[in-house]
Amino acid sequence: MREARIPTEELMGSGHLACQGCGATIAMRFALKALGSKTILVIPACCWAVIDGTFPHSAVDVPIFHTAFETAAVTAAGVKAGLEMRGDFETTVVAWAGDGGTFDIGLQALSGTAERNDDIIYVCYDNEAYMNTGIQRSSSTPVGAWTTTTPVTNYKTRPKKNMIDIMAAHAIPYIATASVAYPEDLIRKFKKAKAIKGTKYIQILAPCPTGWKLSPELTIWAGRKAVTSKVYPMLEITENGNKLTVWKDFEATSFKEYIKPQGRFRHLKENEIEKIGKDVESSWQRLLAREKMLASIPGLEA
Amino acid sequence: MKKVVMGNHAVSYGVRASEVKVISAYPVTPQTHIVELLSELVANGEIDAKFIKVESEHSAMAACVGASAAGSRTFTATSSQGLLLMTEMLHWAVGARLPIVLTNVNRAIGPPWSIWTDQNDSLSMRDVGWIQIYCESNQETQDAIPQAFKIAEEINLPVMLVLDAFFLSHTYEIVDLLETEQVRDFLPPYNPEIKLDTNDPHSFGNLSGPDYYMELRYMIEEAMNDARGVIKRVGKEFGEHFGRYYDMVVPYRCDDADLILVTSGTVASTTRAVIDEMRDEGIKIGALKIRVLRPFPFKEVSDILCSTKKVAVLDRNISFGNHGVFFQEVKSALYGKTDIPIIGYILGLGGRDVTPKVIREVADKAIKDKNPEPYINWIGVKR
Amino acid sequence: MSKQIKFDSYREMPIRSMTLDNMLWNKTGSWRNVKPVYDNKVSPCILGCPAGENIQHYIQLVIDKKYKEAWETIIESNPMPAVTGRVCSHPCMGKCTRGDYDEAVNINAIERTLGDMGIDNPGWMRESEKTKKQKVAVIGSGPAGLSAAFYLARAGYSVTLYETEKALGGVLRWGIPEYRLPNCVLDGVIESILNSGPISVKTETVVGKEIKLKELEDNFDAIFIGIGLMESRKLGISNEDCEGVESGLEYLKRVNSGDNLDSSKKTVVIGGGNTAMDVARSALRKGSDVTVVYRRTQAEMPAIASEIEEAEKEGVNFRFLAAPKEIVAEGGKLSKVLFQEMELGEPDESGRRRPVPLEGKTFTMEVGRLFTAIGERADLDGFGPEVDTEWDLIKVNGEFGETNKKNIFAGGDIVTGAASVVEAVAAGRKAAEKIIRVFIGEADPPKQEETEFGIENINVDYFTKSNRTLNPRISVEEAKKGFEEILTGFDEQLLQKEVDRCFSCGVCNYCDNCWVYCPDTAIVRKDDRYEIDYDYCKGCLVCVEECPRSALSIEEEGK
Ligand SMILES: Cc1cc2nc3c(=O)[nH]c(=O)nc-3n(C[C@H](O)[C@H](O)[C@H](O)COP(=O)(O)OP(=O)(O)OC[C@H]3O[C@@H](n4cnc5c(N)ncnc54)[C@H](O)[C@@H]3O)c2cc1C
Ligand SMILES: Cc1ncc(C[n+]2csc(CCOP(=O)(O)OP(=O)(O)O)c2C)c(N)n1
Ligand code: SF4
Ligand code: SF4
Ligand code: SF4
Ligand SMILES: [Mg+2]
Repeated sequence: MREARIPTEELMGSGHLACQGCGATIAMRFALKALGSKTILVIPACCWAVIDGTFPHSAVDVPIFHTAFETAAVTAAGVKAGLEMRGDFETTVVAWAGDGGTFDIGLQALSGTAERNDDIIYVCYDNEAYMNTGIQRSSSTPVGAWTTTTPVTNYKTRPKKNMIDIMAAHAIPYIATASVAYPEDLIRKFKKAKAIKGTKYIQILAPCPTGWKLSPELTIWAGRKAVTSKVYPMLEITENGNKLTVWKDFEATSFKEYIKPQGRFRHLKENEIEKIGKDVESSWQRLLAREKMLASIPGLEA
Repeated sequence: MKKVVMGNHAVSYGVRASEVKVISAYPVTPQTHIVELLSELVANGEIDAKFIKVESEHSAMAACVGASAAGSRTFTATSSQGLLLMTEMLHWAVGARLPIVLTNVNRAIGPPWSIWTDQNDSLSMRDVGWIQIYCESNQETQDAIPQAFKIAEEINLPVMLVLDAFFLSHTYEIVDLLETEQVRDFLPPYNPEIKLDTNDPHSFGNLSGPDYYMELRYMIEEAMNDARGVIKRVGKEFGEHFGRYYDMVVPYRCDDADLILVTSGTVASTTRAVIDEMRDEGIKIGALKIRVLRPFPFKEVSDILCSTKKVAVLDRNISFGNHGVFFQEVKSALYGKTDIPIIGYILGLGGRDVTPKVIREVADKAIKDKNPEPYINWIGVKR
Repeated sequence: MSKQIKFDSYREMPIRSMTLDNMLWNKTGSWRNVKPVYDNKVSPCILGCPAGENIQHYIQLVIDKKYKEAWETIIESNPMPAVTGRVCSHPCMGKCTRGDYDEAVNINAIERTLGDMGIDNPGWMRESEKTKKQKVAVIGSGPAGLSAAFYLARAGYSVTLYETEKALGGVLRWGIPEYRLPNCVLDGVIESILNSGPISVKTETVVGKEIKLKELEDNFDAIFIGIGLMESRKLGISNEDCEGVESGLEYLKRVNSGDNLDSSKKTVVIGGGNTAMDVARSALRKGSDVTVVYRRTQAEMPAIASEIEEAEKEGVNFRFLAAPKEIVAEGGKLSKVLFQEMELGEPDESGRRRPVPLEGKTFTMEVGRLFTAIGERADLDGFGPEVDTEWDLIKVNGEFGETNKKNIFAGGDIVTGAASVVEAVAAGRKAAEKIIRVFIGEADPPKQEETEFGIENINVDYFTKSNRTLNPRISVEEAKKGFEEILTGFDEQLLQKEVDRCFSCGVCNYCDNCWVYCPDTAIVRKDDRYEIDYDYCKGCLVCVEECPRSALSIEEEGK
């Protein structure tokens, strides 16, 4: 056997309650492998509030505090403060929320926490809708997608909120996107975040077979195609928002291929797909331009 | 050390003496001085704590919940709108069985905007599962804090201390300030066995089906029942340490009274003055201050009130559609034990002054009122 | 395995909703309706290799820098990777799935590199098993005979190897020129084979003539015949015996013996196979102006494509669609050749289009030397009626070289007709294994099932396109100057670069993907394999989908 590609420690065990092929679960497994057992999770309402298991059982081997929907960030900040006042400066405190708990209802508390630069890692596992409550739109739901509150006759026409820019505006020391399809990258980012003091924001694309109407075996496939089709760029923002690094070293694939097996996009007509595909490309170009622009500001270069 | 301080600052000094480790609060009139002084005390090192300056009361309570779950002694203060915004997290603190202490400065709820006192904010949290203690003086607002932590940490429920806006919060009185060293004997450092701890990993608050939710709630109720004894014991112990004794209720000249006025908060002191005046006139009247609303002191209340001939409850609050809250509570305490008249009076809402004159008016009216219809009387409403 | 905690009374419960154990009581395997199973396939390259070398496996070992183990893996099926790694037409690479993606993996060069490592590390060869009582005679020391001798000796059976010539190797020694296969390499290979077990060599002994086959039958428990095709076919036209006309094979033999030949004449080589190419390029190196005349077109040439290409680059001329009709001799010496022009007609039994003469179209060429290289044939003298023959070849029944005689086996060119080194090696090994099975009374192994495997079985997302790594080489100009070996093996860096391109088709190479991606932590990573914990596998099939190489299959639940 070769050396394991990722840490072998399993802090997320079997028997949990996620659907088949759940990307959010994979994200957790990787994150915990990166962070190790000296980690405390704070989880608000979201699928993960259920996945963990039913009282008095937990599938996860680190302490978890389940908290109210909109409070992940600040509850985590409280936990961190509480630990430090007990003399524990070592434990990594992680807020682990869905996109609803991040982009929408939890945005305020997250903003407050980020502005104070409280020493936590905030993770948004992004499955692009409220899945726990049965697939309702969130502000992270991408344009064109069906959800139970954006039916096909009235699918989502507004673009996904740019949460990354919002976080960058807080000048926190570390922001990154990740995808369950790139475990080494994800683990590297978590390890990096763990070593930085302050608020770290990591947004993980976590495909949801149930909510995306995607065959479960395609979870990782979707996590990969989202990246290679430029829909979900892999990036890092460091130096308090001043340095943007976009991962570009991949063979680009098409938007159409990415959405094809996803039932949530099935209603889209050819011209609509084309239009959204173009928007994806222009967002990507804007991102690259921004990367260049930031790099060109004298005194900001690394 | 005795010092003339405002009620809000008495709260802050109580926090200092209690060696609180994490404070998280958001400013709201009339609580702001508490936060300001705490900021200063933390900044200058008089309190060895972290003060998480959150962006809302909801987050303040969430931060307290987190910090308390991590095993640290935790405090917050708020008022009115802020308390309401906290609602969800107040419940969370109870369900998670966290010994957080909160001081709420009673303030009326908008609209219209009002910054003046009444009890509707704290009373709307009556059923959440917090212990509620209504304070009457600046001394008490300070003394209540170490007691509250001691009670909370023993029974694993949070405690809400309540004081009237302005009449206490902004009023200067002489307060015998507690010294940290003295308090440490009374209130040892908080070191819970169960907490968020990577060496002993548990997950808190997991989904629970109908199979155990009720049992968990039952245990909260059990803790509330236990709290009665604990509150009394702690009040006594506090007295033994500091010479100031506290109890669930405070009767005043009730022994042979034909009429007892039931009060809470600052109205209680005013009422006592009126009682003295009326006693001088030969009227057999007494007063009963209810200090602890939750858990409700059924036994104390019924023991005292069953020996009188008439009860008048003064409510600085209104439960729309069902009279004043203290009135309801007293009635239920006396249910089946006596058939004396119990009459409720609503007064002082939104900071309307409850002067000795107003109380006298209530007392005179109560003497005359015989099982009046309606049971509830609005005092001083411009009709 | 934990049990679900149940409380009968609140008194047993913690006061807070706090967990006390894990979720392992919750056997989520019951959610599954299909299940993933580890199911290695046979990589197509392995099926493409006549010797069935476990290519996929040794490449993975190379990736792990387990060079000795990689070499040992080859040796299990081919004792001379340093030879085949140089001269094999590598049908494995024709089957390589990577060929449908970018370019086939340079298996040949990897094999050669490992083969050379084997020569440099004689200690890698394991001791033969303890000597058994049975003895085997092996006739002919070409690749077939050497291979048979090797596998027999390695298993502890005493082998006596009979060879007509004074040195061993067959075509490898007398046919293939040094610029493709240096003698020192061949010597190294043969030495390693001879050292591998109890082999005694009897050179300059013609079986069938000096020793009768019958005699061997009496003295040995089994015989393997690997006598190859050592005679050149004749053109069958006039003056074929005049001075200046020579069989290509004879010429190569002289070249390989180091005879100092003067070839500074206009040379014509008749034929289109490997022999023709080797003759042409050898003559070129000796200073001749060389033209290869072939009766069909380049597309039909049986020579290894790269050989033709090299010959062209070096300056060999080609004249297609022509066949010698008449040799003109002056004073017993070759002077001219009359050629008949041809065209392609209907396909013959080999599938290639048959050349047919173009009526009345001929041409004449002044020729100093004419080499015939139109094929080789066997000399079955002394084998004849003893063993059944057919079409001048020995007839075998089945895939292990069994002749009509119980204890006589045959393999290599003498059975197949002109074929290849690797086929001869394979035949030698298979016969040896069969002989051993006969000795120990073991049944034949079941036939390996051929599985279809193609690029559609590869998750190409896991691979980036890259070009095949080529062998380093000397320039054409350098090459033409003499018999220095043209190609070099890989250094470690090139080797690693190339092995990294292998898809490991159908065979788990411990890439970890399945284990990494399982959302249910249901795959257990053991020291030497992965195991699916079906108690918890929900059957999402992420592992199957993300296996880059289809090493997992799907089974319907309950089957
Ligand atoms: C010039 C040339 C170039 C070739 N190039 C390639 C190439 O690049 N790649 C490739 O794969 N194939 C090539 N081939 C084909 C390949 O060499 C043969 O298929 C292969 O050598 C056959 O092996 P073998 O062991 O059956 O016979 P051989 O290699 O012919 O060996 C037979 C041996 O038996 C000995 N022998 C014969 N009769 C007797 C007897 N009566 N008693 C004792 N010993 C006897 C012979 O002396 C000889 O040593 C080439 C062939 C030729 C002629
Ligand atoms: C205050 C509040 N409002 C609404 C809910 C109901 N609710 C629970 S989870 C959820 C959606 C969660 O969506 P997201 O954060 O994206 O996580 P996901 O379920 O998709 O993993 C909602 C609306 C709640 N628990 N609390
Ligand atoms: S709904 Fe989606 S995110 Fe939630 S558990 Fe199922 S697969 Fe995972
Ligand atoms: S995914 Fe990798 S480790 Fe798993 S079976 Fe396939 S090759 Fe082996
Ligand atoms: S990825 Fe895990 S759960 Fe899914 S089919 Fe494979 S072993 Fe089963
Ligand atoms: Mg979501």
